[in-house]
Amino acid sequence: MSELVLTSLRKMYGPTVAVDDVSLTVREGELVALLGPSGCGKTTTLRMVAGFIEPTAGTITIGGRDVTYLPPHRRDTGMVFQSYALFPHMTVAQNVAFGLEMRKVGRAEAAQRVADALALVRLGHLGDRLPRQLSGGQQQRVALARALVVNPGVFLLDEPLSNLDAKLRLEVRVEIRELQRRLGLTTVFVTHDQEEALTLADRLVVMANGVVQQVGTPEELYESPANLFVAGFIGRSNVLHGRLVSPGRFESRGGLAVEVPVTDRAPGPAALALRPERLALAAPDATLPAGINRAGGRLTLVTYLGATTEYRVALGADDVLTATLPTPPVSDPLRRLAAGDAVTLIWPADQCRLLAPDPVGDGATDEGV
Amino acid sequence: MTAAAASMGVAARRGGAGFSLGPALVIPATLLVLAFLGAPMVLLFRYSLNRYSPRDFMIDAVTFENYVRFFADPYFIGVLGTTVQVAALCTLVSVLAAFPVAYLLARTDSRWKSALVIAVVFPLMVGNVVRAAGWMALLGNDGAVNATLRWLGIVSEPIRLMYTPFAVILGIVAVVLPYMILTLQSVIESIGRDVEEAAANLGAGPMTTFRRVLLPLSLPGIIAGGTLVFILCMNAYATPVLLGGPQFKMMAPALYDQFARTTNWPFGAALAFILMTSTLVLTLVGTTLLARRMHYRKLDAAAR
Amino acid sequence: MTTIAATAVGSASPARGTRRRAGRYALRAIATLVFCFMFLPVFFVAWISLFDQQIVSFPPDGYTFAWYANALSRPEFARGFVTSLQVATVATLVGVSLGAAASYAMVRYRFPGRGALNTLLLGPLVVPGIVAGTALYVYYVALENAFDLDIRATLGGLVLGHVLLTIPWTVRLVSASLIGLDRAMEEAAANLGAPPLVVFRRVTLPMMRPGLVAASLFSFIQSFENLELSLLLVGPGRITLPVAMLNYLEFRIDPTIAAVATMQIILIGALMLITDRFVKLSRIV
Repeated sequence: MSELVLTSLRKMYGPTVAVDDVSLTVREGELVALLGPSGCGKTTTLRMVAGFIEPTAGTITIGGRDVTYLPPHRRDTGMVFQSYALFPHMTVAQNVAFGLEMRKVGRAEAAQRVADALALVRLGHLGDRLPRQLSGGQQQRVALARALVVNPGVFLLDEPLSNLDAKLRLEVRVEIRELQRRLGLTTVFVTHDQEEALTLADRLVVMANGVVQQVGTPEELYESPANLFVAGFIGRSNVLHGRLVSPGRFESRGGLAVEVPVTDRAPGPAALALRPERLALAAPDATLPAGINRAGGRLTLVTYLGATTEYRVALGADDVLTATLPTPPVSDPLRRLAAGDAVTLIWPADQCRLLAPDPVGDGATDEGV
Repeated sequence: MTAAAASMGVAARRGGAGFSLGPALVIPATLLVLAFLGAPMVLLFRYSLNRYSPRDFMIDAVTFENYVRFFADPYFIGVLGTTVQVAALCTLVSVLAAFPVAYLLARTDSRWKSALVIAVVFPLMVGNVVRAAGWMALLGNDGAVNATLRWLGIVSEPIRLMYTPFAVILGIVAVVLPYMILTLQSVIESIGRDVEEAAANLGAGPMTTFRRVLLPLSLPGIIAGGTLVFILCMNAYATPVLLGGPQFKMMAPALYDQFARTTNWPFGAALAFILMTSTLVLTLVGTTLLARRMHYRKLDAAAR
Repeated sequence: MTTIAATAVGSASPARGTRRRAGRYALRAIATLVFCFMFLPVFFVAWISLFDQQIVSFPPDGYTFAWYANALSRPEFARGFVTSLQVATVATLVGVSLGAAASYAMVRYRFPGRGALNTLLLGPLVVPGIVAGTALYVYYVALENAFDLDIRATLGGLVLGHVLLTIPWTVRLVSASLIGLDRAMEEAAANLGAPPLVVFRRVTLPMMRPGLVAASLFSFIQSFENLELSLLLVGPGRITLPVAMLNYLEFRIDPTIAAVATMQIILIGALMLITDRFVKLSRIV
């Protein structure tokens, strides 16, 4: 088991930058998820770690050893492919034994380790089957066993759950997490599913357009997204565009004045991100303590979701906020709210995230408003 | 240690980014095709510009007189005309005959489907000479067809079937049918049942569905299959020789005769290039006309 | 408006149902006829090979297997069979090896001129057999005169010509099987520690096998039954079976030649059946 360090990794295809200046340390035994929409460079990064793609610049070290230009078969990474890539002409046991055979592990020891690995993924009885005779979930587990049996320095998973149906996905997700913990594997997990990433990973790396947008724990990313892209990609956010008129005071394009936490951001164009579940409905005449924002509007849509209900509220011409609240009890008058009703939304100032107005930048191109 | 690793890295990188031996695998096959098809074709073309003399066999020259002779000689124009007519007719017949089979093969869910596909391929694999022999057994004066007709009392004297254009067309259609069926089948399979079902759902009967939906959509297959089959017909050798007899001349046998019997190489070479060029021109004209028709129909539909 | 349309369709439907069924039967009948038509010559050749008479006439006087012995005892057929077998075998071995290597290079690597090379290697399919045959003939004669060699009517001369028949089939079939191969499979092997050559031997080659088997079958058959290309390249003592059959058939059709033809039918049928056990032929044609 060993630490994986990427330093200023970059990959160009002609003039196109696929991965731009990615630096990342995956600590020993840590599970890091690379998260982003398709084409964001997450898979390219993973494949550079595995050695299938040669980086244009930067270095990759595994356990202190520079592997940047080492061919894949000398890297000691264990990879689980999106398509599983099981060898169709070999039995399950032969598939799992392949890596041991390449490492010239003795026959008796290899047989034992294959049996152990198959037992680990609860497939001990299926060693003689061919991959095509297995279900999708079973094939998935064979792929896991095949990658794990060689005790890889780094464990790589490329969207391993995307070919499973929704129910199985949840099961295998838990299974992968337990295995990874138990074996203390240094793991990089690529996915485009934010929920998957949030539940699995110790830390998340959010990527877009080949650039790392933010690195952090699930909580850090959810509570303090670095930019609008992260705010929209991890969970859902209401976004108000406008400008910071003075420290602590934001004014939306629609003319809504909002009290925000004081930061060192200079006044100017800005965006405000607000989680729907941090909003509440209040009586129009309620008296509020300081530090609570209030905005009156008209309900345009009420969506009943069982445990929660979503209220879409239009505040003036330009601004729309969605509030997600626990569904009120039947006796509650709130339960009778319908589209067209006038409502008042309230939210604490410290729940507002003031961000650069453009989705992924740092505010350098301030024309956007 | 670090320096060693770094230098190894550089070496490996050079190996990776540099020249790979992989593409070189294409060289042997390429050389072989160039040496045993390319070079011979060039030589043949060169010979077609030479002059023939019965005494000296072949005289080096650069002349088009062999080509001119072909187009000035009614006999050879006739041979080309026969070839084109036979090829066009055979192509038409094979499209008509192949479509129902291809459609059924494409749409069947039967477990016999793969057996049926193999049954289409099998005659193709058996070889033209063998099949020509079969037709000879059927069409000869003492053949099965005449025997049956006599037994039925329809004719008293055998009717001449062998060594007729009819026999040649029959034989060639049988040869090219599998190609046509397989091409059409794959195109029809790609069309998808739901399109036909949509047409039926909108109230179109089977004939209307065929005419307005299936036929326009399979036109690319008809063009592809028709082109392939037409080329095969233009170049047919064994079938016209065996079923058409010495009097019935198509281009391929005529070309062979120039080398094997007359030993007029320059003229034979010219025949070869006239055959290929006319095939090319006719297929281009044919596909363009069909494609344009398809285009007009689309415009027509759009205008409606 | 909708009501009218609905009644119209409703009232027409029973008649239309019958018509549709009739149409389907007609379609099947036509297809059956076409199948019969394609098999007619094959069937008749096999049938008359069993006739117990020298001159073919219907109905036969009786049946015998004697013509098969007769066919095998005739040197032109026996030797023709051996020659065709030799030529087809060697041409298949050479053509499939070269063609498969070329396909691998063209599918797996990006290099300038790849498309043009692909067209070139499929070229022998486009050039008419009789033209390629005559071109090879004049070429061989020129080479013989220039280097004082024997090429025509040698095994080598025939094989080199026939390799041309096998390369395009191989390139088509092997390329198709390579394109369908998931590259992640090879990456997985490399990831598990297999060096490139081991990856090729243990993963790529086994995955190419259906394509290679199919290519070998088609190449062999293309070469074995080829007539046009061989016509001018054969010579005394080295005549391929189809040429021998053509020469015989130009004079007569009798049970002897029918027996020869039937043996070829059986050989090719058997090859196709054996191959079908390894690769589903219906999926590759």
